[in-house]
Amino acid sequence: MAATFAVKLARIAIVVAIFAAWEILSRTGIVNPRLLPSASDTLTTLWQLLQRAAVRNDLAVTASEVLIAFVLAVPCGAGLGFLIAENRTFAEVTKPLLFFAFSIPKSIFLPMFILVFGVGFPEKVGFGFFSTIFIVIMSTTTAVESVKVEHLTVARSYGATPLQTAFRVYLPSMLPVLLEALRISMIFNLTGVILAEMYASRDGIGHQIATWGENFQMKQLLAGVVMIAANWSDR
Amino acid sequence: MQPLANVTPLKPAPRAGAIQVGNVSQVFRTSQQDVVALSDVSLEVKPGRFVVLVGPSGCGKSTLLMMMAGLRQQTSGTVLINDAPIPHPDPNRVGVVFQEPSLFPWLTAEENVEFPLALRGVAKSERRVKAEDALKLVGLDGFGKRHPHELSGGMKQRVSIARGLVQDPPVLLMDEPFAALDEQTRMTMGDELLRIWAATGKTIVFVTHSLTEAVYLADEVIVMSARPGRIVDHLTIPLPRPRTYEMLSGDTFGTLRDRIWRHIRKSA
Repeated sequence: MAATFAVKLARIAIVVAIFAAWEILSRTGIVNPRLLPSASDTLTTLWQLLQRAAVRNDLAVTASEVLIAFVLAVPCGAGLGFLIAENRTFAEVTKPLLFFAFSIPKSIFLPMFILVFGVGFPEKVGFGFFSTIFIVIMSTTTAVESVKVEHLTVARSYGATPLQTAFRVYLPSMLPVLLEALRISMIFNLTGVILAEMYASRDGIGHQIATWGENFQMKQLLAGVVMIAANWSDR
Repeated sequence: MQPLANVTPLKPAPRAGAIQVGNVSQVFRTSQQDVVALSDVSLEVKPGRFVVLVGPSGCGKSTLLMMMAGLRQQTSGTVLINDAPIPHPDPNRVGVVFQEPSLFPWLTAEENVEFPLALRGVAKSERRVKAEDALKLVGLDGFGKRHPHELSGGMKQRVSIARGLVQDPPVLLMDEPFAALDEQTRMTMGDELLRIWAATGKTIVFVTHSLTEAVYLADEVIVMSARPGRIVDHLTIPLPRPRTYEMLSGDTFGTLRDRIWRHIRKSA
């Protein structure tokens, strides 16, 4: 999005203010520094953690799980979503079931994933996939339904083949909705994978954060949070 | 007079722009009952004529137009364009102009006009030249690079007309093209359309709800009634061309419009 210089400056100012408030609260002891280590300490710890091969390995594990879950969930979800939007019978049968499944918190199924896959890579990818696919199905259905009937009629009246209709009408109509859908799907996906790592895992950054929390290593814990948040804001 | 039964008639050459509708019926089957949308409709449009279809909602005038476009098939009867049936859309014979939201918002005006050519794989340079010509014809010279959201309602419909004309079909079908426009723009667009029609010599079939628009534009007005849709009157408009704004308040105009209105009031 195109932001003017003033808007960007205001955003930076807010971030700086938050870090300043954090630093002051901790340094003055208004908040117990053992519970809230200062911003500067946290950022130093973050820098040190990033130097460590073990932490970098954890990040790589998490990133690969997230990526594989995403690459699997998006085409499967998009295919199902398309089928629902285009096939009335299929939609009538599956739509209420999918809406129901979508509304259940996914986290309660995590123990089942552990039982089926065991603790490890497939379990985390599987749970990431499971957390993501419903939102992909829903968004694809919405995207297909956003295609205007008038536009399809125009294409037909000028003799468009099904393939031409797909690429010249469906795809450009759906694109804005789809791009937004991918972004939201990624949020669900990352949440799923991190949750699976925190619950039971031997590696991954979610596992590390959970361990630091259990051991009361607040500096590391906060550094981990900043790490994921900063990583996310890049997108 | 001698009977001509033994004389084999010469097959006439196909007439570009001629439309014949013979005993067309359309029945929609629903689970409850069969709905007769069109009942035994016949009409003939000579090449180069401007014909307007009017009638109350549900009289099947749009359905009839969609059949002429090859977008819908009749239950029985024949529809001939250039003396040949039209089992599917054929942009070389028929261009269609729809109601307002029919332009693709992600394409510029000229890309919208080029769309029918792009479907047929016409080279980019040739497409551009033809699109520019078509835009010039509808009075939008220099607006090719704009997107639809940067154009007014009237300008968008000019782009739609240019898109309908870009392949130079002998027939232009228009389905309530100015319905979404305000009154002033509508009048201007009517004059513009008559100018384009005079310049190109196309056969135009135009569907509208507006009786004033019908009488003002048409050579012939075909009045339809609803449930079942059928033709109740076929008027020839004797007003001279070019049509002028002053004619709207004349006696001839008023008499013709009243005659159409009485038909519609009776059937609605």
